[in-house]
Amino acid sequence: MNVIETRQRGEASDGSGVGGRHSRIDGRLKITGGATYALEHRLENLTYAVLVPSTIAAGRMTAIDTKAAEAAPGVLLVLTPDDDLGLATASDWFGNRAEGSYRPLIPEITFNGQAVAVVIAETLEQATAAASLVKVTSEETQAIAGLDDPRAGEGNLVDNLTVSWGEAEAALAAVPVKVEGEYRTPREYHVTIEPHGLTATWEGDRLTIFEPSQWTHGMARSYAEWFGLPYENVTLISPFIGGGFGSKATASFYGALAAASAKKLGRPVKLAITRPQTFTAYGGRAATRQKIALGASEDGMLQALIHRGANETSMVGTWVENTGAATPLLYAVPNFSSENRLVPVNTVTPGALRAPGKNPSAFGIESAMDELAHALGIDPVELRLKNHAERDPQSGKPWSTRQLREALTAGAEAFGWSRRSPEPRSMRDGHTLIGWGVAIGTFPVIRAYGEALIAIRKDGKVEVISGAIDMGQGTYTILAQTAAEALGVPVDQVEVRLGDSSLPGAAVAGGSMLAGVMTGAVHKAASAAREELIALALNDPNSPFRESGANTLAIANGQIATPRGDGPAISIAELMARIGRDRIEVKRDTLPEALANDVGRMKAWTTMSLMRAPTDGDYSMHSWCAHFVEVKVDEDFGTVRVSRVVSAFDCGRLYNPKLVESQWKGGIIMGIGQALLEEGLIDPRRARVVNNNLGDYLVATNADIPDIEVISVGVPDPHASVLGGKGVGEVGIVGVAPAIANAVFHATGKRVRDLPITLEKLI
Amino acid sequence: MTDRTTVHLEINGRAEALDIEPRVTLLDALREHLGLTGTKKGCAHGQCGACTVHVDGERVLACLTLAAQAEGRAVTTIEGLAGPNGELHPVQAAFLEYDAFQCGYCTPGQIMSAVACIREGHAGSDEEIREYMSGNLCRCGAYPHIVAAVRQAAEELTAQKQAAE
Amino acid sequence: MRDFSYHRAGSADEARRAATLPAAMLLAGGTTLLDLAKCGVTEPEQVIDISHLKGLDDIRVDAEGAYIGALARMSHVADDAGIRGQFPAVSEALWQAASQQIRNMATIGGNLMQRTRCAYFRDPATFPACNKRAPGSGCSAIGGVNRNHAILGTSGACIATYPGDLAVALTALDAMVHLGERSVAIDDFFLLPGGTPEKEHAIEPGEMITAITIPASPAARRSTYLKVRDRQSYEFAAASAAVGIELETDGRTIRDLRVALGGVATKPWRARAVEDALKGKALEPEAVRRASLLAVEGAANHGGNHYKIELAPRIVARAILNAGGAA
Repeated sequence: MNVIETRQRGEASDGSGVGGRHSRIDGRLKITGGATYALEHRLENLTYAVLVPSTIAAGRMTAIDTKAAEAAPGVLLVLTPDDDLGLATASDWFGNRAEGSYRPLIPEITFNGQAVAVVIAETLEQATAAASLVKVTSEETQAIAGLDDPRAGEGNLVDNLTVSWGEAEAALAAVPVKVEGEYRTPREYHVTIEPHGLTATWEGDRLTIFEPSQWTHGMARSYAEWFGLPYENVTLISPFIGGGFGSKATASFYGALAAASAKKLGRPVKLAITRPQTFTAYGGRAATRQKIALGASEDGMLQALIHRGANETSMVGTWVENTGAATPLLYAVPNFSSENRLVPVNTVTPGALRAPGKNPSAFGIESAMDELAHALGIDPVELRLKNHAERDPQSGKPWSTRQLREALTAGAEAFGWSRRSPEPRSMRDGHTLIGWGVAIGTFPVIRAYGEALIAIRKDGKVEVISGAIDMGQGTYTILAQTAAEALGVPVDQVEVRLGDSSLPGAAVAGGSMLAGVMTGAVHKAASAAREELIALALNDPNSPFRESGANTLAIANGQIATPRGDGPAISIAELMARIGRDRIEVKRDTLPEALANDVGRMKAWTTMSLMRAPTDGDYSMHSWCAHFVEVKVDEDFGTVRVSRVVSAFDCGRLYNPKLVESQWKGGIIMGIGQALLEEGLIDPRRARVVNNNLGDYLVATNADIPDIEVISVGVPDPHASVLGGKGVGEVGIVGVAPAIANAVFHATGKRVRDLPITLEKLI
Repeated sequence: MTDRTTVHLEINGRAEALDIEPRVTLLDALREHLGLTGTKKGCAHGQCGACTVHVDGERVLACLTLAAQAEGRAVTTIEGLAGPNGELHPVQAAFLEYDAFQCGYCTPGQIMSAVACIREGHAGSDEEIREYMSGNLCRCGAYPHIVAAVRQAAEELTAQKQAAE
Repeated sequence: MRDFSYHRAGSADEARRAATLPAAMLLAGGTTLLDLAKCGVTEPEQVIDISHLKGLDDIRVDAEGAYIGALARMSHVADDAGIRGQFPAVSEALWQAASQQIRNMATIGGNLMQRTRCAYFRDPATFPACNKRAPGSGCSAIGGVNRNHAILGTSGACIATYPGDLAVALTALDAMVHLGERSVAIDDFFLLPGGTPEKEHAIEPGEMITAITIPASPAARRSTYLKVRDRQSYEFAAASAAVGIELETDGRTIRDLRVALGGVATKPWRARAVEDALKGKALEPEAVRRASLLAVEGAANHGGNHYKIELAPRIVARAILNAGGAA
């Protein structure tokens, strides 16, 4: 492995190698309607399943009347909590498996919208109509509606999230300048434009699942365990995913229901989650609150940081949305204390949504830093540079790479920050108040293992095969670029097959890790394939190179030649023909020796237990960014429009800047929605999210989004990944909301500490 | 008793006859009955734009149109946009060039909407494009690239039109 | 959505007759009917499709005013040169409503029949209580999440906001709604909820909107629609104002003024008190702001919607000053 050499080749301007601005190789399918998403696979004899949600949030179902539904036209099956489906429990993300049976429907109701039945019929229309005929009788108890419900209480301390060094309380009491505030974020939702769902079909004891998946292997394992099948008997197929953002990494109760129904009926079952059900069939981002106190000397050096955070979780599950995730990492502070609590309420168990933890955490600390800058009368960029942490304050380890200073400087320069007038309400245009804000963000580098198969075909084309997925990050494209570069062929000679659990193993497409993991695996496999091809070319009796006297060969642009170019030069296809080979296959994984066995592979591909933390090893590894935002606030109406964004990123080396820029901008845009629009509104009586649709849960439209400039200040990070990249997908959203809140303060003089910043908070 | 009806549709220039319940939407008729899955279902309530198709040349939402309502009208879906030999429509080509999508799920609706937006004369400025493309939500956040692609395609189509005149 | 039969009406008369059958509903653009049928709010047994009827989609503008056929599409009216020239508030209200796809589908008649966006009205499975949906069952919005609910024209039975934009402009400009045999002033077409929130329009069984007309006036020619919302596009109004103004030849004295509010009331809300306070007065920002406060006289706050009481007059004032050229 020679990282430096790879990087040099990747800088080719033709866009073919790693680092080139190649357009998506799966793009044509997506723009012609030819990309087949999970619910679009056509199966004979298909039936349709529709979930019946609970309309109460707490209590126990005492009776369920399915007669009318069963009698409705076309209805084939109704399943309720009374049906024992004979399923076993499946392992959790870390491979831990409890004994016992698994019931996807239960009579104990712990949140509004919890499924209580499923109806299967011949057509979607029939199943939908019949689902509304299921009558549920319940004994209702009083629900705890959310974090603000007085009966929710302070919650329970999460011991392993308590972090402290120095004497924070004492230091805070002694400093001349301090700020304190409570920062809150509401329930937020993934809102993938493709709703969830699946089609399940059986052939004997083999189960095939078509389901959008961020992790084909991990989800296939759940199905296998539920149904007591050997892992190999389940195939989960997911070549295209209509957005995930963390919500499509787990097999869920509705998958179990669809597969069990299909088994009972002996017919394929398609279960589509409706848009309102996407708010309750799985969890969005937990609501959070955090109190932060910052203390500094008069020259702006941080002396103390106290953080007390909490997030809601469900009554039956634990979800930690760590509001302290970014807090200890950003600044050098000698006295630090952070605690986090979990508050159970009647909600579906929250889940991972783009930059879990880091996102709300940055809203707290980065708002607080802005308040401190104002209190000190120091420019917010300068304050951040002053308190730059030279090493990870928590682990004490050096950063692998940290171009955060460069991000702040380059971002400020491109934005024109030096022209900012520091006083709030000092920039205006008629009724419009103008504000400029800054905030930084971070996301850890998580490492894991991957496996890839490279096939060289007789036509000279190369196949890259892996069960990893592409939900829009660009996996197809960057793996083609990686293989093309390692093998010496043009990208358009590479075909990539992904999204199938029967293919070689991969880590979850989560935690911004997949690109680093899979480029590493593909680079290794493709390099080995190249060596094998060269060995064949040198040694095969029918090869024209056999007598060349060379001890190695060069492959470039699909042509094989002697290194000095003084011998024969032929295409890969011609070589394959000469040596009489149809196909050369090479499979490689990146597992260390100790794990390179069946048990290790199963663990690596189907659990998260082998993931390596950012501080595992000699360094602390993270992506970094700095966002600069301009807002325009109508002083009469309180409406906020983001009019300009410049963000600078350190994500290490970029495998394909064109696609990376799209992801960064996507994160920023989701952050704009988070800052200004997004909030699950909970009815206090029924503990139901009442804006459970896209007309009322507002995500940003095209008209809400200005031009966005993104800048890369990263340098290759050889510790973070084989090819030098760090995570890209999540860091983009981290810090956007506080940058906007800070800009709103600069525009209006009003500090909004609870998201979203809606107009009533400003008039 | 389930009422059924025979609906005659013209989809991408092809005549199709469907024996369906009257409550079947054009969207479900396309996706579930005709296998034309390029038109996407995102919300089924007219709130996302993923199901945008053209009916008699105008962009509409297939999720709030009964299949029966489309009888006697010409329906164009994303599958019918490229040329007979697969040559991309200028809007499709611009979407690829500007990376105006990520997951691709809202994309057919965006493209059908953009083609109509240009034809309507509502692609005159970036601001107008943003407003008239706001009926198509994109959660991956491709909006700035969508605006760039629509601007580019509009310029190209205008030039083509002027050259033809 | 329950099953229904589907009939294509051959004429307006046939449609009207068919629509008198129990549980029969007219289908034009479909953007409200199919949406609510999917929510389980409306359960038609028969759907009478009138969208193909000929001769009901004319848009004509002359010196007398505008005639807009009931089946004219929102987008076509918005882009009509005559409407844009003579009734800018109508065009502006239309293109700021919904999305272009929906405006290509939705008809002017159907738009007037649009139902409220109240989340409780739209969710019968979870919230059976809704006087608008099930008379006498109660109101779930009172005491619930009511940030988007009405501050004006409410009753103890219903606080649901009228959601549309077009009708607000039409109300300011004194449009008439034609129901075949008879015509109704737009302000009388929309009913206050009172004790019968299920009855939203002055339309009787067997009647169908055939057209609307808008009288021409200098105030209509100098009109504007100002819509304020959380999202820049594709959202209902948090509050809006349609304003038409005519100034005396001195260029500053208000001769005629029309003001209507949207997004804040149970029906399109004509603010005559504001008009009366300013007619004959100079178009002067402070006076306009003061008079605009009269727009929310008698407003009621239900908790989440308190901000509308402050917001609405500010929008009215800005719209008046914009229309008068004094902003």
